Amino acid sequence: MMVRNVDIAVLGAGPAGMAAALAAAQGGAITVLIERENHLGGILKQCVHDGFGLLRFGEKLSGPEYAGRFVHMVREAGLPVLTSTFVAEAHRNSEENILMLVDRSGVTELHAKVVVLATGCRERSARQVMIQGTRPAGVMTAGAAQYYVNVLGYLPTTRCVILGSGDIGLIMARRLTLEGAEVLGVFEAKSTPSGLSRNIAQCLDDFGIPLHLSRTVTRIFGDDHVEAVETAAVDEKMRPVVGTEERLCCDGVILSVGLIPENEVGEALGVPMDPVTKGPVMDQNGETQVPGVFVCGNAGHVNDLVDYVTESGERAGAAAAAFVAGRHKGRLLPVMVDSTVLLYAVPQFVDMDSPESHAVVYFRSREELGTTLVQVAARGEMVARHRYQHLRPPEMERLEIDLSLIPADATSLDIGTESIVAAEVKS
Amino acid sequence: MSRRAQHIQQRLQQQVQTSISCREGHDSIILEGLVDNWAQVVRAGKLAAHEGYKGVVNRLAVDGLTLPPPRSPKFGDATLDGLHVDVLIVGGGVTGCALARELTRKSISVVLVEKEDDLATHASSRNNGMIHPGIEPHPGSSKAYFNVRGNAMYDTVAAELDVPFTRCGSLILYQERWERFLGPLFMARARQNGVPGVHLISRNDALALEPHLTQEFSAALHMPSTGIISPYLLTVAYAENAVRNGARVSLETMVVDMKVREGRITAVRTNRGTLYPRVVVNAAGLYADTVADMAGDQFFTIHPRKGEIIILDRKKGHLISHVVAKPRLLQVKSDTKGGGINRTIDGNILVGPNAVEQPFREDYSTDRDHIELMLRRYLPLVPELSPADLITYFAGTRPATYEEDFIVERSQYVRNLVHAAGIQSPGLASAPAIAEEVARLTVSALEEVTTVADNPTFDGHRRGIPEPERMLWEDRDALIHRRPDYGVIVCRCEGISKGQVMDALGSPIPVTSVDAVKRRVRVGMGRCQGGFCTPQVLRIIGEKNGEQLAAITKKGGDSFILAAETKSVRRAS
Repeated sequence: MMVRNVDIAVLGAGPAGMAAALAAAQGGAITVLIERENHLGGILKQCVHDGFGLLRFGEKLSGPEYAGRFVHMVREAGLPVLTSTFVAEAHRNSEENILMLVDRSGVTELHAKVVVLATGCRERSARQVMIQGTRPAGVMTAGAAQYYVNVLGYLPTTRCVILGSGDIGLIMARRLTLEGAEVLGVFEAKSTPSGLSRNIAQCLDDFGIPLHLSRTVTRIFGDDHVEAVETAAVDEKMRPVVGTEERLCCDGVILSVGLIPENEVGEALGVPMDPVTKGPVMDQNGETQVPGVFVCGNAGHVNDLVDYVTESGERAGAAAAAFVAGRHKGRLLPVMVDSTVLLYAVPQFVDMDSPESHAVVYFRSREELGTTLVQVAARGEMVARHRYQHLRPPEMERLEIDLSLIPADATSLDIGTESIVAAEVKS
Repeated sequence: MSRRAQHIQQRLQQQVQTSISCREGHDSIILEGLVDNWAQVVRAGKLAAHEGYKGVVNRLAVDGLTLPPPRSPKFGDATLDGLHVDVLIVGGGVTGCALARELTRKSISVVLVEKEDDLATHASSRNNGMIHPGIEPHPGSSKAYFNVRGNAMYDTVAAELDVPFTRCGSLILYQERWERFLGPLFMARARQNGVPGVHLISRNDALALEPHLTQEFSAALHMPSTGIISPYLLTVAYAENAVRNGARVSLETMVVDMKVREGRITAVRTNRGTLYPRVVVNAAGLYADTVADMAGDQFFTIHPRKGEIIILDRKKGHLISHVVAKPRLLQVKSDTKGGGINRTIDGNILVGPNAVEQPFREDYSTDRDHIELMLRRYLPLVPELSPADLITYFAGTRPATYEEDFIVERSQYVRNLVHAAGIQSPGLASAPAIAEEVARLTVSALEEVTTVADNPTFDGHRRGIPEPERMLWEDRDALIHRRPDYGVIVCRCEGISKGQVMDALGSPIPVTSVDAVKRRVRVGMGRCQGGFCTPQVLRIIGEKNGEQLAAITKKGGDSFILAAETKSVRRAS
């Protein structure tokens, strides 16, 4: 069994992990990038649609193209990369993290001063949204369907319904239609769509695929294979309304019902989690409450744009290198949100002594809002404000705070909102 | 008609429906007629039970309800045609497979037929893996005898077959004041049935055993002999060891007819040809009554009783180690055990089961109200559990008879037929003991027509598929050095390697479906429920079996995972 020592181990070579590893190495730390699959790029490999990189590169790239640019940089930098390598166990001793790595060559005990969690997220499954009935073939997450079509070159269904209007579900509605399958409709239990507006327009409207809001799939029929589903309207508490059931014949059910940050390694390292984001509690540099453990990308909270994922990776990587060089976090101010209006904001803390002059805060609204002023106050003083045309839960917003404006005796940062124009009520 | 039958008929006509008629046959009471709903069918069957007949044959039909035929293989061939065998076992559940292995201790030819594409696909996999201590069954019943005896055999069986097993013990918590009075009742029951080590313990002692339990109970009954095992792994292990010792297992093989002449089964027709067995064992589970009927010896009817079980994330597995249950008022004389929570041998927590009578034998659909009720009822036993820990749920049906006891006997009317029927809970716990007894009965039937010698080459030991994820690091490292595929992880949630998937595909009883691989090595059983690994498993199956991906099924039959190649669809449209 081999034993290795590094400064920084970055777990996951998707967009967050590649950016983090590049930044960490640039910061002078001995860094290794660890990936359980046999290639770099994470889930981007199967995202053949475009729209990636608008903020980052100012152009519309496909997922593989976006990933390709970073893979190239990783290779150029000569970063040590371990692919097909699985973290089978993780724990900490007083000064470092110990990861047990498994690959084709055996078991390696890796000692890392810092771990950067870039482990992404997974999809919620059928039973987790209380779908009942049988368990036949033909029920799958949108991500699995995407893998079948785009990587394996197979259609998993010829006539399906999609439950959930998350982005991957919308993208797959279009993709399956283009491949010749019939998408009977997208069902969304919430009263508003969960995906980006541009995806509703480009993936559903352009193809005449109906979106059924406040309606869900309640039951699956079929023994060997899906033969039909039952859909039903739901009330405000998301419970099916008796008498509104309809039966639809189909051979597939595709689920896009939410993403859950994957934090099993973080949990093993003792990292406290935020029950709302399902990711670690962190500061603006991605440092968790366990010194020497950082997080970035979708492991921290689910993002909707890869550009922000990359940004968070770069910040966490740079901060991880600074940690190795001896920097320790300073005074932490908790970030408080008006939770009646906002779903969450990350980071949960701001490190007042961070070398960067600005802290970036991401947030989502709880409901659709019209033109809204979002303001950040510290000890009653306004330290940042921004006017948003719309706030929608599926669309994460970004706000920069100039740390120098925060009074020295502030005890928290308070994010509040002021409605300027109410949201249009859709007919 | 006897006075007894008349009496029963009168009662059923008064209490259930006037159209019901009764007659006697094969020492059983036969119910006929048309009723309005399934609840009446079950009620009539229960009312007719325990009246001194050997069994209840319930032929009541429900107005407007047509029961579907059994799920069956969709092809036929002549693989088994003309085969003469000493013993034909019908049914590849835990009972049939344990029996097959037991019979290979003798120098006889044994064929086991199973209609599904894998073993243990019905009741034998659709349970919570509990090895019951034997306190629930009525003293003097077959259940009580085989349960206590079977439970005691598990240490040896599990060790010989290399199947993980642990005696985790179980606790019944007394939450209401009056429930404490059940304690002495259970203690007396334990003595009568011969259950070892049962104690009433205080709340503090119970909390010392299970620190994460609720505080809301006053005392507990501790049963240290309760165990836990993977029911499908055990069934497969029995079958693999049987095959190794010379038995033949034929999957996707369904018995459709039997020829009976002068009180003997002379031929058994299947979709894969007609066999000529000397002795037939009916271990057909949910369809044991149908098989008995084919042989002209139906004296019982199976009424399927569904149970639903919820699976929680392995992350929470550390919270309990015992099987923890609440007493049920009727448990002392109940038809089935009460539900609770338990940790599987793999570390997941299971919640349930419940018990719901339904007409459909192979309907494994679940119901939202039931799932939510069980979460409400049982999660509070361990306050740190929450509905967010749920990863999936499933259902099974218990093959219950109206007498609610096991039928383990030679047929009284067909000389070369042995029944192992009505094996519902605690059938898993009882399986080793039932197999021993059925083997004895089978050999005695066989000895009437031929001589039976011991099998000099019998070896009861089996080596399971390695589980690198449970090994010490040095051992795991050494294993990967010997075979690097054990270091290629395909199932991230459970940490299962490509090597294990390959082993499952190459095991002594070849399997080809995704669920069959899952049952053997747990790929896809974790929190992502196969979202990430199913495509990887498909690829490995395709590679190993040289199969087109579109030909691979989830669980045999028409359960294809992929519909078509994208290119071909585009060409066609």
